[in-house]
Amino acid sequence: MMSYRLQRLPAASPAVAFAARLVSVIAALATAGLILKLAGMEPLALGAKVISSTFGSSFGIADLALLFSPLLYCGLAVAIGMRVGVWNIGAEGQFNLGAFSAAGVGLFVAGPPVLILPLMVLAGMIGGALWILIPTLARAYAGVSELITTLLMNFVATLLVYFVATGPWLDSSGMALATTARLPVAIPEIWDIVHWGLPVALGLAVVLAIAFNYTKWGYEVRIGGSNPGNALYAGMPVRRHLIFVMLLSGALAGLGGVMEVAGTVHRLQGGISNNFGYIGIMVAVLARAAPLGVIVSALFMAVVLNGGIILQPQGLTTQTVLAVTGLILLYAAIGDEFARYRVLRTIQPQD
Amino acid sequence: MRVAVHAPFGIRKLCIPKEAKSPLEWAGTNSKEVSSMFSTKDLSRRGFLNMGAMAGAGALLSGTGLIRPASAASPLAPIAAEDALIAFGHTGPTSDEGWTWAHDQGMKAVEAAFPGIKTTFVESIPYSADATRIFRQFVSEGANMVFATSSYGDFLYDVAKRAPDVAFYECDGRAPLDNLGNYYVQHWYPSYVAGIAAGAMSASGKLGYIGSFPVPSVYSGTNAFLMGARTVNPEATLQTIIINSWFDPQAATQAGTALLDNGCDVLFGIMDEAGYLQVAQERGAKAVMWNTDLRRYGPDAYITSVMVDFKAFYVEQVRRRLEGTWTPTADLLPLSGGVDRDAWGATVPAEVAAKADMARTKMLTEGWNPFVGEIKDSKGNVKVAAGQAMTEQELYHWNWSVEGVFGLDS
Amino acid sequence: MVSIADPMGTVSIQSRLGLAPGTPPLVALRGVAKYFPGVIANEDVDLAIYPGEIHALLGENGAGKSTLMNILTGIYQADAGEILRDGETAEFSSPIDAIAAGIGMVHQHFKLVNAFTVAENVHLGWSQTPARISARTLEARTQKLSQDLGLTVNASARVSDLSTGEQQRVEILRVLARDAKVLILDEPTAVLTPAEARELFVALRAFTARGNAVIFISHKLDEVVEISNRVTILRGGRKVATEWTESCTEKSLAQMMVGREIVLNNLRERPKGATIGAPVLSLKDVSLKSHGAMLLKNVSLDLHAGEVLGIAGVAGNGQRELSHMLTGLAVPSSGQVHLDGVDVSMSGARAMAEAGVGHIPEDRLHAGMSPALSITDNTVLREYADAPLAQGPWYIPRQALHLAQEIAKLAEVMVPDFAMPARNLSGGNQQRLVARREMRIADKVLIAAYPSRGLDVGAINTMMHYFVELRDRGVAVILISEELEELVNLADRIAVMFHGEIMGIVPGEGVDIEDIGLMMGGRRNT
Repeated sequence: MMSYRLQRLPAASPAVAFAARLVSVIAALATAGLILKLAGMEPLALGAKVISSTFGSSFGIADLALLFSPLLYCGLAVAIGMRVGVWNIGAEGQFNLGAFSAAGVGLFVAGPPVLILPLMVLAGMIGGALWILIPTLARAYAGVSELITTLLMNFVATLLVYFVATGPWLDSSGMALATTARLPVAIPEIWDIVHWGLPVALGLAVVLAIAFNYTKWGYEVRIGGSNPGNALYAGMPVRRHLIFVMLLSGALAGLGGVMEVAGTVHRLQGGISNNFGYIGIMVAVLARAAPLGVIVSALFMAVVLNGGIILQPQGLTTQTVLAVTGLILLYAAIGDEFARYRVLRTIQPQD
Repeated sequence: MRVAVHAPFGIRKLCIPKEAKSPLEWAGTNSKEVSSMFSTKDLSRRGFLNMGAMAGAGALLSGTGLIRPASAASPLAPIAAEDALIAFGHTGPTSDEGWTWAHDQGMKAVEAAFPGIKTTFVESIPYSADATRIFRQFVSEGANMVFATSSYGDFLYDVAKRAPDVAFYECDGRAPLDNLGNYYVQHWYPSYVAGIAAGAMSASGKLGYIGSFPVPSVYSGTNAFLMGARTVNPEATLQTIIINSWFDPQAATQAGTALLDNGCDVLFGIMDEAGYLQVAQERGAKAVMWNTDLRRYGPDAYITSVMVDFKAFYVEQVRRRLEGTWTPTADLLPLSGGVDRDAWGATVPAEVAAKADMARTKMLTEGWNPFVGEIKDSKGNVKVAAGQAMTEQELYHWNWSVEGVFGLDS
Repeated sequence: MVSIADPMGTVSIQSRLGLAPGTPPLVALRGVAKYFPGVIANEDVDLAIYPGEIHALLGENGAGKSTLMNILTGIYQADAGEILRDGETAEFSSPIDAIAAGIGMVHQHFKLVNAFTVAENVHLGWSQTPARISARTLEARTQKLSQDLGLTVNASARVSDLSTGEQQRVEILRVLARDAKVLILDEPTAVLTPAEARELFVALRAFTARGNAVIFISHKLDEVVEISNRVTILRGGRKVATEWTESCTEKSLAQMMVGREIVLNNLRERPKGATIGAPVLSLKDVSLKSHGAMLLKNVSLDLHAGEVLGIAGVAGNGQRELSHMLTGLAVPSSGQVHLDGVDVSMSGARAMAEAGVGHIPEDRLHAGMSPALSITDNTVLREYADAPLAQGPWYIPRQALHLAQEIAKLAEVMVPDFAMPARNLSGGNQQRLVARREMRIADKVLIAAYPSRGLDVGAINTMMHYFVELRDRGVAVILISEELEELVNLADRIAVMFHGEIMGIVPGEGVDIEDIGLMMGGRRNT
């Protein structure tokens, strides 16, 4: 008697994982295409539109770059947390705090940009790190799960930004949305509206990849993140690494907020984080917490989000675009899981 | 020479001088400056804010002709109808039965008026860098004219600056360019009229307001409403709750409930949907709405609505763009010319309606301006001296609360 | 079924239990085997449980008791053999089948919902729970069950308010309410006061008097002698014997439990020149307190260069804490740890490892390795910070791979891909890599905690020869084990631990196994 059964492997081989990822993206796009077709649209033409609008014009590439950059910061922030076994759900809040701190410096400290910009960067990174300090200490010393604490801090940060943007820091010159005044200094632009936030983020991804793979510190963090018991057994300072990496994670998300407020938006306003912190979680998961992988997955997410914007003037509603985005992620997650299985053919002896 | 035109309640066009950096700066000119050599250098926002105190300001804005600077921006080239793409960017869904729906009616009027042109629109554009991306996308799709039906500030400005051949309009906008104009409605007049009815129908004298953000349209709406109410109920007060959104039915409903729980019995707001009207209906209170006729959601509670109608405006601007005569304007659509009160609700007593309509008629026929000093702010400072009338620009940029309005000034 | 105590089979089990001739066992296992990768959990086990008996199941940790009970309760399926219910073949493909067949188990750790009342817990997940439930109906039903079954409980009390003994009664009531005929109790007295234990015994006797049976898992010899009718002893996954308890003594049971057929395979022979030297690692009156519990109590030990010191005892009597104390993973509450005469009590694990103390930890997957990381990462754990793997702050993966390959070669582990997660290796291969990794740094001392746990005979043999190799190089080896056979074969001295204390230290040469067994049960060697 012959039967088939699925065997779950502890880890998928890289080639299989990559193939599964590819197949799942194609399957998601095909499903989305089918739905669009049923809705009377031309999926192939829309797809071509997304590609030509994204990569075929300088506008498209600049827009992509501006989406890419915050996703990189938040993706890296979440990814390095995952390296020490921490789920930083609070990148959204740390991003907000980074933007808040940088805007505070920009609005209220006078001086030449060459002094103010580094001060804004520093303030933003400290703000992001402070925002994860309590979850960090609670996790390191009391074992409190950072999942809830970092998440709850997000709401506080979001409301804090709303409060200052609609209250004490409000620029009442009048818009439909309350914001602060335009920051007098800006992250310098390098091309079109693309500013230095992007190359800095790419550089950070490379530095982090080197730090994790080619330093003793990186080795210790890897062991401690994978199995703290093993690291303690080897006499590694598990807690110190945990605290440092969590604070670094917060600082990275905060830096993303600095770049967003001082490079892209130029005013602090409610909702400045635009869910980048939450999307950063998806970016990090898709990248399997590898810093260089974050570059690829953040770019992929940026193309998906930008594609959504391109499709909206084509008559697709935001909900449809969100559904397609969600579909791709869902399929990617399913593909990842399936990559761990293999089909076994077993022959059972007859009694 | 620039001359201020104020045909009472006709469309007042404020064409922007090429060298001016913002309407605030521009508006800072007083009549003395107008009569001397025009210079933008000494103009400042502060200058504008102080303008109300200047005796000559009224003259500037209540003249009899178009304000037209010596060196206007040269018009954009004409476009054949079949090449035209007119884009609309909305803050809410077109199905909101409110603000965005009204603008969508405008787009449909444009389509009907100019057969052969193409239109496109995007709904629910957030006030974030995503807005920049969507407006840029309009440009790269080849749009000739882009209407932002809500204020997107820098997000729109940065796009317009880089696309000089495309005409942009920003509703409730503040910062103009050679190719970026703005438009809004003089909603303070119908708000004042509705306020008279609200004051007469409020037993407690406590009015409630559900606001989006502490921005000028919320200040002018609350102030006008309460000033109207105080003409019949001098002790009336207005409590405001800010919900940080223009379209959030749940938050608006909660805010409405909270206001009623605090003793308010008439609600007003600046929401793009009918959430708090339903609350008022359930609780036996009254409500004044915005944008459209929403009485079916609360037939007993409905007093009236600040109705908007942008159809004529959009058709006119698109016509100018196609003809090749378009230059940016700053338009405030007047009472009965883009904004008005709705037909009174079923439960509004005839004498109340008549009293409120008397004020409306006076505004329409005599150009009556009820916003005349002495007006004190919420801290008791005299902001508008006795006998002095506030200008349309001051009303448009209103950023302080009058005495009796709570919840906006910190 | 032939009893060893009754070799001629002249008196049947049925008649000694007062049953009608030919009464089938309530439940029986025949030739049952269960294998896990690299481990024989059970093999060729026979067990018959008759109505009216309390049947003790005796064995050391890892002897296969839990696996056998998991098979009987449908959690595992046997790889060979069969289960008989009332003399007929039965198949338990899930715990539900076993419960339906009247077999219920009370685990050592209760599975009650603390926030629920007793009545709610009893009715939780029970097919006979009425559709309409009110607190009153549930409590009335529970009260009735409690009276019928002779287990006094307060039906309306919240479980979190109950003492451990009362909670256990609720667990038992829960199982019996589902018409259990065979009640399995896993170390039931471990959590009870002596008075509570006596109450439990009374309830158990009443239960068996109604024609039911109890399987009583324990390694407390006195209790087994007091309560059970018959006793089955497991060792190494196999059944050693089933005896009438009245014909056993604590001593004979201990002997059977730890193994009377220890193969004498003396590894104490040394090559010429290899001698026992001066003490290298010493514990001076060391105690360890944690959360009010005394985990180690006044332990003094001298470990000499070139000797193997065995630590015997039932697991959980302070061996883990002892190994932590010796490797810098724990700081003594009082007393001192000396390495080469220097107080190293506060040095920490890294300093101890750098000073030449290797450590094969007892829980390989939780402490010894990071199973999700690559084989390379796991193999270089002790040397990643030393040249040539590290230069300044840098870690050089290429050099790490070289070292990993070298260690794998020494350990005779075939590794297809060093980037593969370590968990993909078999337990034996993981242990060989850990052992070789630790031997490289163990210049002075190697602490090996349960190194043969879960390994097959071949791997155990390799492991023992590793220790011989180290010992002959003059390294001091501490071998913590529950396999007395290993200790007797290898150790120069054997220390026995009980409740955090050392009961005595005896020479490995010519040791009396019974002495060890008694010390393991808490008798001090005088």
